[in-house]
Amino acid sequence: MLIVNPTFGLAAAAGPTVALKPINWATDAIALMSNSKPNARELLEGMKAKLGAFRNVDNIEFHAKNSASQAAPKELIQAVAGRYRAALLALGD
Amino acid sequence: MTDIAEQEVIDIGDMDVETFNEYATEQGWSDGMPLFVPTEAKVAKFVDTVRGDNRPYSPVPPRQIVPTIQAMAANAVMAGCKPEYFPVVTAAMRSVLEPDFNLHGTLATTHSCAPMVMISGPIRKELNVNCSSNCFGQGWQANATIGRALGLMLLNIAGAKPGEMDRSTQGNPAKFTFCFGENEEENPWTPYHVQRGFKPTDNVVTVMSGEGPHNLNDHGSTTGDGLLTTFAGGMATPGANTVYGKGPSFIIIGPEHAATLKRDGFTIETIREELWQRSRIHISRVSKGNLDTYASTGHEPEGDYLRIGRSPQDLHITVAGGPGKHSAFIPSFGGTMVACTRIQ
Repeated sequence: MLIVNPTFGLAAAAGPTVALKPINWATDAIALMSNSKPNARELLEGMKAKLGAFRNVDNIEFHAKNSASQAAPKELIQAVAGRYRAALLALGD
Repeated sequence: MTDIAEQEVIDIGDMDVETFNEYATEQGWSDGMPLFVPTEAKVAKFVDTVRGDNRPYSPVPPRQIVPTIQAMAANAVMAGCKPEYFPVVTAAMRSVLEPDFNLHGTLATTHSCAPMVMISGPIRKELNVNCSSNCFGQGWQANATIGRALGLMLLNIAGAKPGEMDRSTQGNPAKFTFCFGENEEENPWTPYHVQRGFKPTDNVVTVMSGEGPHNLNDHGSTTGDGLLTTFAGGMATPGANTVYGKGPSFIIIGPEHAATLKRDGFTIETIREELWQRSRIHISRVSKGNLDTYASTGHEPEGDYLRIGRSPQDLHITVAGGPGKHSAFIPSFGGTMVACTRIQ
C-alpha cells in the first residue's frame, strides 16, 4: 500500500553563507544576550564575572529581547552583529 | 529549493488499520488518537479541493520546511476530515504562518497554548460546523477534525513533538482539537470576520494561539452592566500570559448574554472599552517576584494595576454557543496575533 508521508516537505532556500572570523576572547567586544526569561540575566552576570577573571570586561555588555516569547527584532540582531565579535546567549526559564 | 532527504510516498506493504496505527505511532505521526490511513487515492481527493490555489507557503518553523499540499492533505486524511474541509485546513495553516503569529514561539513555549480555529461565513453551514450548543466540545465531525488536522500538521510538518520541540509544561486538551464556528445568526452586532474587514459572504478562518476557554458563568445578572462586571472579573487573571505578554484575547459571548448586552445598548466597541477598563488586575493580586520580573522586562503597572493587553484592541469579541447563561474568555499565548485568512 502506498501512503503519502505526512512529514514530507521541501527544504527552504538556504540563506547567504557568512564567513566567520576568529575571535580573540581575551580582548574582543562580546555581547551578553538574554532571552528575557527569569534568571537569564543572572546566568549572564555569572559568565561576565568568570570572564573578568582573565580579561577586561568594559567591552562586554548586556542586551535583551523586549519579549521573552518573541524572536529578537532584526534591528537588535544587526546592532549586536555590527558592534561585537561574539555573543553569548543565555536561555533562562 | 531542493527536496529534503525523505520520500513523499512510502510503500508500507499490506497493513490493516490497526497495524498502520502502530506503524504511525512508531514514526511519531500520531496525537495518540487513532488515525485514518493517508493512501495516495484519499490524499488525491483532498488535493483536488484546493486546485487553483497556487499561492506559496512559507517555511514552517521550527522545522523550517516548506509544506507540500500532499503532506498537508495526508494529515487532514489522518485526522478524519472530509475532503471538503481541506480548504479550511489550508487556510488555517496559512494563518498560523503569518509572521506575527509567531508560530515558532507558540509551538516551542512552555505555555499551554493551542491553535484556536474559528470559522466564519456561509461555509459554516455547508460543512455543518457547530456554532451553537457545545460548540467548543465534541460531537461534530467538522469541528473535531479540522482542529485536529491543524494539530497534526504542526506535529508532523512543523516538527512540534511533545517533550522535544513542543516544550509545553502541561499541555492543554485543546491541543487535540480546538475549532468552532461563530454564531453569526444570534450575533446582534457584527460578525467577527466583518469586524476584520471581510464581506459577510466571505468564508474566513481566524486563528489565535490560546488557552482553552475559561468559562464566564453569570446566571444572576439581568443587565449588561452586571454581565460585564462578571466578564471582567473572570478576565482579570494574574496567571495568564497576557498579564505580561500583552497579547490578544477572545471574549466569546453566549447568545443569551449577547441579547442582554444588546438590549442594554452595548456595542462591540463599548463592551471592549468597558472590559478594558474593568479587567485591570490590582497589584495586590500579583506576587512581588512576578511584579519584579514583569518590571525587568518592561511591563510596569499603570499605577496600582496591570493591564491584560496592550490596548482595548487586544480584546477580540464575538458570539458563539447556544442557550444558557455562559460566555467564555480565551487568553492567548501573549506574543502572538489573531490572524484571519479568507478560505479560497
